Amino acid sequence: MKRVLAALLVLASTAVAGCGLNRPESIVDKDELVIGVRSDLPSVGFRKPDGTYEGFDVDVARYLAARLGKSVSFLGVLAADREKVLMDGRADMVVATFTIDQERKRRVLFAGPYHISYQDILIRPDEKIANVRDLEGRRICEVQGSNAAQRVVAERGVKAQLVPFPDYNRCLTALKDKQVDAVTTNDVILAGLAARDGSGLRLANALFNEQRTGVGLAKGDVPGCEAVNRAITAMYQDGTAQKLLRKWFGASWLKRGIVAVPQFEGCS
Amino acid sequence: MTMVRPAPGNAPVPVTAAPAPVRRSVPGRIRVISGITAASLVLLFAALAVGTISAREGLRVIGRDAGPQVVATAGLYLALSDMDAQVANVLVMGTAYPDQRRDALARYERQRAEANRTLLQAFELSGDNPAERNTVQSVLDGLGRYEQLAGRALLLNEQAAHPPGPPPDNVVRTYREATDLMRVVLLPQAYNLTLESGTIVRATYDSQGVLAPLARAAVVLAGLVALACLVWLQVFLARRFRRVFGPALLVATVTTAAALLFGTSALGRDEAHLRTAKVAGFDSVLTLAKARAISNSMQGDQSRYLLDKERADTYQHTFLDRSLSVMYTEAGSLPEYHTAVAGHTTGYLGLLGPELVGRQGEVVAREYRRFQAADKAFRDLVTSGSTNEAVAERLGPVKTAFDAYDRALTELAGTHQKVFERSIRGGEGALDNLWRLLPFAIGAIGVLMVAGVWPRLREYR
Repeated sequence: MKRVLAALLVLASTAVAGCGLNRPESIVDKDELVIGVRSDLPSVGFRKPDGTYEGFDVDVARYLAARLGKSVSFLGVLAADREKVLMDGRADMVVATFTIDQERKRRVLFAGPYHISYQDILIRPDEKIANVRDLEGRRICEVQGSNAAQRVVAERGVKAQLVPFPDYNRCLTALKDKQVDAVTTNDVILAGLAARDGSGLRLANALFNEQRTGVGLAKGDVPGCEAVNRAITAMYQDGTAQKLLRKWFGASWLKRGIVAVPQFEGCS
Repeated sequence: MTMVRPAPGNAPVPVTAAPAPVRRSVPGRIRVISGITAASLVLLFAALAVGTISAREGLRVIGRDAGPQVVATAGLYLALSDMDAQVANVLVMGTAYPDQRRDALARYERQRAEANRTLLQAFELSGDNPAERNTVQSVLDGLGRYEQLAGRALLLNEQAAHPPGPPPDNVVRTYREATDLMRVVLLPQAYNLTLESGTIVRATYDSQGVLAPLARAAVVLAGLVALACLVWLQVFLARRFRRVFGPALLVATVTTAAALLFGTSALGRDEAHLRTAKVAGFDSVLTLAKARAISNSMQGDQSRYLLDKERADTYQHTFLDRSLSVMYTEAGSLPEYHTAVAGHTTGYLGLLGPELVGRQGEVVAREYRRFQAADKAFRDLVTSGSTNEAVAERLGPVKTAFDAYDRALTELAGTHQKVFERSIRGGEGALDNLWRLLPFAIGAIGVLMVAGVWPRLREYR
């Protein structure tokens, strides 16, 4: 009798243990998260000389990790690395101006968006450009590896002239030297560049091409995605989102539009 | 199994040993074995009860709480989104289209009432979830402000008495405030409420997926132990008292076996019903609710594209973005998308992708293509500068195409909703039967145990 009982107990416990193994790994089950943030964008995700990171995305990442009750360490990433570090497991989460699109969604699961940004135009202080249509016949800086300038011509059908440059720093110099009339990309990136430059370059507040900036997670981590979405909701409900936007982009940033919790992409 | 007749020689008949302690020990052993048997039976019924209660809780959360919450919040989104679309429609009509204008305003009022109704419902269903309650509260507050702004835009529009097409700047500016509030603040919150219900269902379903097999294993284990104990008791009594049968205990054994079989099968049926409700019902209902919500915003984007020249590019891009999420094909711009979708008839990606199967799915796909074709015709008119014709196109063929597409979506969702409700009812039915029969089984087995053991014990009095 006792032997039968023991055998049955062993069987049952094996079955229970087996069930536990079926669940895919989730950030919910971890104590420490490695979060990928940009290392090259001032005010957004930037690696300081002492090796620490700062910026809007970095603060958002810290808030989300704290909400999930996890400790955090950062991994600096560039635009091209963001999918890779998630897929090979070097990062558990990516908060790095990662725009949600249907193509990326095949390989990455997106929580959020935690921020809606727009494509905007950076101009000289005396410039009159207010709208993407005003770029007609003007010279736009085209940064290698970014399709933002291309989109103005191809998608919006604005006949602007594209002038190629290797990176944003040289773009800004060209803008100040009147070699180009505008630099266009994600508004938070432009705001960060303008703030660091400090010579009075300003945003046109054109707000075209809505970009939904999400939190990248490994594909299949649905519980993690749902937990991050709840944390993002809390970030907006407790006023942190507004506070962080003001901290990194200035009080005037809040006048660009209403700060409210974005419409989530959904985790399934 | 009770037929086993023990070989008489094997029976350890106490003859030579001191009779008194042995006689005491026989009823003692009967009591001990009966006690173990009763305990294992209690274990069996406890496992059945726990399994039933947890399965019922799963059905309640999915079927009576989160399921209706999805319907309520999706209804809220549609009502809100349609309110804003109707305002935009009225603004581009100008002084023309008196009938359509009246209809649009009446529809605005209807949707406003619907929004208030679904908000109340969502609030009730949100239970004690504080984040959800905050969200509902915030939508409620925002809706009041939206109505004021929309009312002002409509009034200014009336005073401006403009021809069909974009209204004067002051109207556009006021409407912009209203539509920003709606699209940036209210609609996302309504949409996220729908998603949150999906989260609750997913979490409940996953935990049921772990708990239900455990409960069933516990029932089987406790049942087998109880049966073994009953057999043991009978074998012991048969040897001691040289009786082959105890009819009462035999019936108790059969009843226990029946309870075990019926219990595991009822729990198994419940699991199957829950799986169908989730996979074939709920998941599709949720996806289609999301698709309907996004699609409805798309037709609003068309009117806004027409009425706000300065933001036309933004609204067109939003339309493309939403189109891509509903049905994805590789396309960098809206004209490219129009072409791609027109020639696309199989292997859909995007939100609707997995849902576009079967006859009803084909209808949805066809109507979606027609809606996009109508959108192309409409935008061609706008780009060529034919504002009057563009307004007529938006209020005529585009609206008709959208309504047909929306109807097809609704019908497809209705089919899945029926599967969902049927499965939840089926699961509840299986549990109800089990729950009703349990007390009888417990009572019967208890009485039979006493009837089987008591007479033997009395022989020692």
